[in-house]
Amino acid sequence: MIYRRVRLNRINMEEEIVAEREWPEQLDEIIEEFADCFDAMERYELLFEYAQRMPTPLAEAEWDDQNKVHGCQSNAHVVCSLDENGRFLMRAGADAQLVQGLMTITAIAVNGMTSTEVVELKPVYADAMGLRNTLTPSRANGFLNMFEKVQTAAQSMM
Amino acid sequence: MALDIEAIRADFPILKRVLPNGKQLVYFDNAATSQKPRCVIDAMSRFYEEYNSNAHRANHTLADEATAALESARARISSYFGTGPANLIYTSGATEAINLVAYGWGRYNLERDDVIVITEMEHHADIVPWQELSKTHGVEVRFVPIDTKTFTLDMEAFEVALDGAKLVCVVHTSNVLGVRNPIERIIEMSHAVGAKVLIDAAQGAPHERIFFDSSGADFVAISSHKMAGPTGIGCLLVKTDVMAEMGPFMTGGSMIRRVTTEGTTFQEGHAMFETGTPRIAEAIGWGAAVEWLAQFDMREVHAHINDLASWTSNQLLDIPGIKIYGDPSHKDSSGAISFLHDGIQSQDLAMLLDEGGFAVRTGHHCAQPLMDALGVPATNRASFWIYNTLDEVQAFIEYLRFICERFA
Repeated sequence: MIYRRVRLNRINMEEEIVAEREWPEQLDEIIEEFADCFDAMERYELLFEYAQRMPTPLAEAEWDDQNKVHGCQSNAHVVCSLDENGRFLMRAGADAQLVQGLMTITAIAVNGMTSTEVVELKPVYADAMGLRNTLTPSRANGFLNMFEKVQTAAQSMM
Repeated sequence: MALDIEAIRADFPILKRVLPNGKQLVYFDNAATSQKPRCVIDAMSRFYEEYNSNAHRANHTLADEATAALESARARISSYFGTGPANLIYTSGATEAINLVAYGWGRYNLERDDVIVITEMEHHADIVPWQELSKTHGVEVRFVPIDTKTFTLDMEAFEVALDGAKLVCVVHTSNVLGVRNPIERIIEMSHAVGAKVLIDAAQGAPHERIFFDSSGADFVAISSHKMAGPTGIGCLLVKTDVMAEMGPFMTGGSMIRRVTTEGTTFQEGHAMFETGTPRIAEAIGWGAAVEWLAQFDMREVHAHINDLASWTSNQLLDIPGIKIYGDPSHKDSSGAISFLHDGIQSQDLAMLLDEGGFAVRTGHHCAQPLMDALGVPATNRASFWIYNTLDEVQAFIEYLRFICERFA
């Protein structure tokens, strides 16, 4: 799904596309923040900071086999539901800060979306954040498994 | 003569590797697998370039050369382990070797309620086969605990567990703790009650010479890839009289004498247990590896690794928040250092170390009962080998201090 930022041309009163990207607007600032990092260590620090800012945490007491993200080297758990307005709500928790940080950003992206929008979202924001080099194949698999778990849940809610 | 570490390093092309982030590789995951010297890589390439063929099958020149190389490697490897070629069964590694004891000996010689003694320190490879045998044959599996203060086997509990034992399976050296168990005493005590002994020497063989015949052990399981050889091959060393008690495990081609529509008769000796096309290139590579290792006095190699581990563990203990599991400075320790930081989760720490070029292992190390005994889900593990240097461990400690200050 392509997200477009548009503005109104005041002369012909038509909408113009200012920016096109494959993630929702609320990630723009975060992606910019990561892209501005001087090096990988700074990106890690930022990711560790985001790990502390999970908007919808999943308490450790709720972690079980059913909500575990398999194929992730650390303990990562995700529970998805619809809120009272019928909007998507992802709660998540992990023991590793790297994973928790990525979950935070994913939660910021998907919370409040419709289930269809979640299913159509692509995990490209991790690349845009400059984390491509950070995510070795095994770590990337963990991230993608988490992302897939979220999308599978969204699919079942459509 | 002191080891010339720089000359040793020159034999390992991979040690010059620069990682994608521009950092020089520092390889501290040797307990998982060692790197391979040029002579091993060349021996395997030469096989594929010059005489690749199936062994023990055809009469053409290449097949003769492949067969000769496979068997010459068997002679070389068995001699390195202080035994004869007839006592060496090629397997895919130590895991298959232990399964071979379970299925090729246990299934034919153990009955319901027979006792197998293992320890909390075992790798899953030396736990799960016995649990499976317990399910199918009703054998009792007894675990000997570790003393969590000294990180050593509780030998008093071992003595108690031995009562009525038919088989004792013990790891030579722990892949997590680096602890070298009192194998000689364990073999003596086990034989005194009439039990057979299997030693899992996957971690022991890279650190000291295993002399099978004089060890008295009935079975020893070894992996090639932790001692400079390729992955995919290992062996089970078996006493001659014990091998005679074994029956087929995996069946198929090569291990048969005659197959008819009515049934099959089997080969004798190691041939009974080596079915299918052998791992020819791998055996040749392992043969080259033991020849390369044989030029060193393993006591000197051990002393070098032990020096690195002692220095590193002392420095680690000086970093606030770090706890070590085991006693890496013990004179018998293999140089594996398991540790945790109380403020940085183990996966995070491993990732941050990787960013600095340091390859360490993280996880439960396929030893979950040991993790349970230690009360932790996982550890970080730095493990050293022959080619690691003081410069590398100094750089490691410096970088780790920097990480801990920045991220804890």
